[in-house]
Amino acid sequence: MNRLGTMLPDVFRSVFRPPATENYPFVRPEKVERLRGLLKFDPTNCSGCGLCAMDCPAKAIEVTMIDRKTKKFFLTYHTDRCMFCGQCVVTCNKSSLRMSNNEWELASLDKNSFTIYFGDKPDAEPILAGKPEGQPEPVKEG
Amino acid sequence: MNVFLGISSLLIFPGGLFLVVSGLLYEWADHKMLALLQNRVGPRWFQPFADTLKLLIKEEIIPDGVNPFMFVGLPLVALAGALTAGLYVPLAGLAPTFGFPGDLIVVLYLLSLLTLGIGLAGANSLDRFSLIGATRTLTQVFSYEAPFLLALLGPAMVAGSWQIGKITAYAASHWLILTQPLGFLVALIGLMGKLELPPFDAPEASTEIVSGAMTEYSGRGLAIFNLGRAVELVVGLTLVSAFYLGGLSNPLWFLGKTLVLLLALVGIQSLLTRLRIDQTVGLWWRYGVLLVLVQWLIVILFRGM
Amino acid sequence: MPENLAPKRFTIPIGPQHPALKEPGHFQFTVDGEVVTSAYVRLGYAHRGIEKAAEERTWIQNLYLIERICGICSHIHAMAYCLAVESLANVEAPPRAQAIRVLVAELERIHSHFLWIGVSAHEAGFETLFMYSWRDRETVMDLLEGLTGNRVNYSANLLGGVKFDLDQAQMDSIRKGVDFLEERTHHYLDVIMHDSTFLQRTRGIGVMTTAQAEVMGAVGPTARASNVKRDLRVEAPYSAYKTFPVQMALDTRGDLEARFEVRLNELFESFRLIRQILDNLPEGPLVARIPRRIPAGEAVVRLEAPRGEVYYFVKGNGSDKPERLKVRTPTICNLTSVIRLAVGHQLADVPMILAGIDPCFSCNDRMVQVRDAATDSQKMLTWEQLRQHGIDFYRSKAK
Repeated sequence: MNRLGTMLPDVFRSVFRPPATENYPFVRPEKVERLRGLLKFDPTNCSGCGLCAMDCPAKAIEVTMIDRKTKKFFLTYHTDRCMFCGQCVVTCNKSSLRMSNNEWELASLDKNSFTIYFGDKPDAEPILAGKPEGQPEPVKEG
Repeated sequence: MNVFLGISSLLIFPGGLFLVVSGLLYEWADHKMLALLQNRVGPRWFQPFADTLKLLIKEEIIPDGVNPFMFVGLPLVALAGALTAGLYVPLAGLAPTFGFPGDLIVVLYLLSLLTLGIGLAGANSLDRFSLIGATRTLTQVFSYEAPFLLALLGPAMVAGSWQIGKITAYAASHWLILTQPLGFLVALIGLMGKLELPPFDAPEASTEIVSGAMTEYSGRGLAIFNLGRAVELVVGLTLVSAFYLGGLSNPLWFLGKTLVLLLALVGIQSLLTRLRIDQTVGLWWRYGVLLVLVQWLIVILFRGM
Repeated sequence: MPENLAPKRFTIPIGPQHPALKEPGHFQFTVDGEVVTSAYVRLGYAHRGIEKAAEERTWIQNLYLIERICGICSHIHAMAYCLAVESLANVEAPPRAQAIRVLVAELERIHSHFLWIGVSAHEAGFETLFMYSWRDRETVMDLLEGLTGNRVNYSANLLGGVKFDLDQAQMDSIRKGVDFLEERTHHYLDVIMHDSTFLQRTRGIGVMTTAQAEVMGAVGPTARASNVKRDLRVEAPYSAYKTFPVQMALDTRGDLEARFEVRLNELFESFRLIRQILDNLPEGPLVARIPRRIPAGEAVVRLEAPRGEVYYFVKGNGSDKPERLKVRTPTICNLTSVIRLAVGHQLADVPMILAGIDPCFSCNDRMVQVRDAATDSQKMLTWEQLRQHGIDFYRSKAK
């Protein structure tokens, strides 16, 4: 039996309900535990193996060694290249990487803010000064 | 003084500027109500104004192979037709600015001038989509025009006059929606056909023929066409609510009745799928004409008794 | 204007830019008035060279490249790739991982079919159904976000297993979501089957008989709507479908209405399957160890995506990069049916027929050779030459 206006119950109910749209900038969305947001690095256990950089599909992580003997190195993370897949988190067997679940609004007008350095930055200044801008460097294996 | 009054009513209130502004506001009301019925937020009140302003400041591209006078002139003719029609209907609840016996037919013709203008504009362009859109526009005009006219003549018949002012005065004391329900139904659906609202928006089915007859238009020409359709919305609503919903005696009644009618239109819009052009023609020539003829028969029998 | 005086038979181009298409593809319909007399398709607008790019990346990096072939069926592509690589390495993912893979695949099927109902309703002009079905689709996308961390491109798979586990809170929220969606699916099925104006656009349109479907090689719900019993989850069960079987949803009429009903009935099977998996989730580890250098060999995997049969061929040569990867997606099988069926229908039905096969142009793009009509030769241009050609062309036009 064919009727006209089968969506009437939905349409009628919508008159009495608020819209389903979240009023985004004024209403924060609910927090999702497992959201894959910005990468966070914890240097305490990191051994500088560089597997995360090798496995990254977007070449967003670079591990640069400063001094092999004292295990000083730092991590360069390119936010604009990262595709937030989470492979690096899984690859790291020292659990040094995790993805934040509340930092996901990453738009910015300044290109420099897209490169984040983790680690001993002051020691890295001389090395960074010598590096050409924006080229992914292979991991320096000893 | 009379000339000054005439010119000001032509250009500012209740014609001209007031008509254009209220047309855009009614267009906003249409979109907003439809959004609320679809459980979403919808545009803010200045959206149609912002759209018109944006279109007016953009470059107008005149495509190759069209007649440039017709290309630029047809939108103006269409808008002029719609604005002129506004002078003979009881806008804002006031008496029509001008009136003469038989102006009902003139108003309907002027509203059709808008649709004809769109159709001709589509036929003018060399683009395939425009041609198909123009064909569909003109086919649709041939299908809903007759029943719509007959439905509006029903009140004219009982009021004994073809002048809008006199019919409105008669309707103020008789709620014709109760005594001529079939006519009201045909007038309501006919209004949707005239305004090319879904389900009768086959002439500008965006998922099939991009934008129909207005595909090649951009910038100023498109803005003027859109203004024309907004004005047509107000004039059409005024006409149908004045005839069937008991006349428009003051601005408050005007606002209330036209918005209620708009709500009915939006409700029907949200429930139905777009009809194919052959289904539209079939619907009108089978059921539309039948209903309105039955209504006329009833009216004639009652008057005879 | 000679064109207007010529006999009324001309070509309507649908695409590459057209409001009916969500992705670029070119269809040319020759119409006589409003009736289509012939059709022609040309692809190649969304080709990105993924198969070649896959040869330059390691097996692990390829997982994420493959996922991005398509946004709507991304998990199925990743799952097919993982199954192929695991078969090359002779490793089998643990049963818990396989069950979770199938769970995400079924959630993706739900998401894809809701998206498709909305898009088809939009093509028909039924905006209300479009808005409501996409509102309900947000529920399943939120479920997937809570489960995997992202709404599209879930990255749930790892070579050898899955990345994450299900805990009790997740399972409860999935059950609740699935209950809500099942109720909505019943409502949409009612709308599809009984709304007079919508039926005017779908009943009897684009009818494809069983014989035609078999000759044209249609796959997926498009074929099942014409009573072709083709569903890889039933004919050749893979992964957890061996432990959790499904039933085929079939229909005999073969028109657009049948395709709608088949997809909605498939949803009921998906809901049932998800509940069954949640009740009987096997215990065990989540990942099996897989070496970085996959041994040489060839593997072929066929899976049932929401649109039909997805076919993967992977060839390894013992290194850490694949030698050849070949992907064949279902839309390419179904495109012939659009061209043949559109003939004889009105122009207004053409977007509906196209939407009826659930086209996904990003999935199925191919490199296309365009030959010069006059000389039947082809040219190869480098990127620089192509740029220069464009600049010269428009400069000469402006003169």
